[in-house]
Amino acid sequence: MRLTQFARGRRFGRRYAIAAVAAALVLGTTACSGGGAGGDKTSDGKTVITFSYLWTGPEAKALEQVIEKFNASQSKIQVKGVSNPDMQKQLASMSSAQGTFDISDGFGNQVGSWASKGILEPLDQYLGSNNIDANDFVSAAMGQMKYKDKTYALPIAVHSFQLLYNKKLLAEAGVQPPKTMDEFATAIRKLTKVDGKGSITQLGLGNPDLPTSITTLGYAFGGEWNDPATGAPTPDKPGNVKALDFYAQNIVQAYGADKVNRFVGGFGPYSSAQDPFQTGKVAMEIDGEWRCASIASTSPNFEWGVTPIPVADPAPAGTTQLTSSTLFIPANSRHKKEAAEFMAYMLGKDGMLPFSKALGNLPARTSMLDDPIYRDLKNFQPFLDSLKQDKVKALSSAPGGSEYATDLASAIDSVNRGKKPAQQALSELAAKAASYGG
Amino acid sequence: MAVRRRRAKATLRNSLVGLAFASPFVVGFAVLIAYPLLASLQYSFTDFNLFQPPTNVGLDNYRAMLEDPRLITSVKNTLVFAAVGVPLNIGLALAGAHLLNLPLRGQPLYRAMAYLPTIVPVVVGAYLWRWLLNPEYGFVDHLLRLAHLPAPNWLMEPGWARTAVIILSVWTVGGTMLIYLAGLREVPMELYEAASLDGAGLFAKFRHITWPSLTPITLFQSIVLMIAYLQLFAQPYLLAQTRLNQSTAGPGDSMLSYSMYLFQSAFVNLKMGYASAMAWVLFVFTMLLTFALLGSARKWVHYANN
Repeated sequence: MRLTQFARGRRFGRRYAIAAVAAALVLGTTACSGGGAGGDKTSDGKTVITFSYLWTGPEAKALEQVIEKFNASQSKIQVKGVSNPDMQKQLASMSSAQGTFDISDGFGNQVGSWASKGILEPLDQYLGSNNIDANDFVSAAMGQMKYKDKTYALPIAVHSFQLLYNKKLLAEAGVQPPKTMDEFATAIRKLTKVDGKGSITQLGLGNPDLPTSITTLGYAFGGEWNDPATGAPTPDKPGNVKALDFYAQNIVQAYGADKVNRFVGGFGPYSSAQDPFQTGKVAMEIDGEWRCASIASTSPNFEWGVTPIPVADPAPAGTTQLTSSTLFIPANSRHKKEAAEFMAYMLGKDGMLPFSKALGNLPARTSMLDDPIYRDLKNFQPFLDSLKQDKVKALSSAPGGSEYATDLASAIDSVNRGKKPAQQALSELAAKAASYGG
Repeated sequence: MAVRRRRAKATLRNSLVGLAFASPFVVGFAVLIAYPLLASLQYSFTDFNLFQPPTNVGLDNYRAMLEDPRLITSVKNTLVFAAVGVPLNIGLALAGAHLLNLPLRGQPLYRAMAYLPTIVPVVVGAYLWRWLLNPEYGFVDHLLRLAHLPAPNWLMEPGWARTAVIILSVWTVGGTMLIYLAGLREVPMELYEAASLDGAGLFAKFRHITWPSLTPITLFQSIVLMIAYLQLFAQPYLLAQTRLNQSTAGPGDSMLSYSMYLFQSAFVNLKMGYASAMAWVLFVFTMLLTFALLGSARKWVHYANN
């Protein structure tokens, strides 16, 4: 009732109010629909494409330098780089009809899963016109890039895992870098120190990421985590069980799950100056080539070495795990051709060499493995060499991989806490993995 | 006739004016709340990965929930968090409010300190507690060792990891405490004076005056806290987080709350249909619990005016 009187008294005011509300609504809707479009061309007629990347900080800076060089060399395309480490936003943008970026980066193990959902643009049609030789890429990485015989992403960098060791601690204990699993077990025992109260003060083998260590060891024991033909999970292959059991016997059971986890719980931040490997709390660890650059910057005087992952029959020497960082074009990009042209530049010598050097990552192309640009990176050579023989293996990128990774991590965790034997944990996972959907 | 028509026209015009003024809310509600809500109900009956058109699967998502071991773990964890967290929160808030109500010098400062954790962003609080609970360098274990008590390996053992989640949630009890404090100051002093004359002790006064007077606040707080605990996400997510943003949930999935698993299902495993079904089950369960709490109110809540 009050409104009636109020409205009667101010007829003009009311009309203005309605007009204002209507105007606000109209403006609101047009603003929304206008958000995605616009800004496709520069004033001098170049097509603007957006490169949304997950890298931040110094890595983003290195990337921006490559982008700058590309833009300077171009008369048709202008690349706008946007650092956006939020993977949920990256995915959300790919779900709409009009995307906010034309090229982006991700991880090799997601490719098949994303491709199966139709959000990645197949790249095969662009390879020829941009002179990209798919055979030059490390083949284990290329395996991750494919889904149903089509290529949906290309690796900009790859990572291989080797055994890192503290030179001083090994010399003190009179231990040579191990080559076989028996030598490895002995080395772990000799390099682990326990004080009078039974607390660990130095651990022979540390794990920056336990699931990665176990999957890598699985390959080194001749195991396979996926069916080579279908990509389906095969967690209970004998080699995998042996690897997890190796860890259970030589670490968990040897020193007690509680003691190990207490010691590990007190580690400083990974890859910082307080990192357990860099401070001598851990004598050996399985990790990737990026440590060459990060140790050089955080602990420049630290004496460390790299040796191939010890292996057991039937795996040949040099067997290890590879992971990859990718570039891809979302299916909702409006400038796919231009994005492919920029991708070719990123994957060529002018892009991949300076970028992988700046990040301390391995180049994804075999023709670049001997490039002199990597020479001043200490301990980098064994990582480069590991890619020259075809003994690196990678987890499948087939759909269902994220659930497999989560469940594998929790199976390994149950062994790490001494709750389950390796065989039981992995057999139970195999039964569960049979029910994964896409 | 003409008068009536004019009157009808005026009524219509008035209704339109009303709607126009309410339109920012009405449009906002319809677009941002009602539509997504109904859409999620529809998605809960489909297999939907966010990118391709959903396909109808009937009740499959709801059926799959019954056989999903991680979901069952998450339900158990969430019920433990709520069953321990809500009473603990209420008890601590009530006790704290009594302390903050004492006539002490510097009381405003203490009140501010009790409230302070509430305004610390949850991410900052979680990272702070990760360090406080560190088994080697953490202050909590350091104090426990000084007192010759066992120093637990907080975030590495399932039982202690759950305890850490509850500690982190109870850390912000200051908000509830302040509301109780306001309630305490509303209790008429003459009731206490009358009770004193009758020879009532501190406990009798609390039981017969303070507690009944505060029951409306307790009812409200119980409902709000219960909903918050059933939706617990940030605290366990941040405590369990490892590098590379993996979908970890602490040792043996001990910190996997229902909301965390819902988030993982939706945005890590891209199973939107399943996640929508989970959201609706949580919604219905929360509503039933709320009604049950409201229904029980007749038995234990006292309102001053009746």
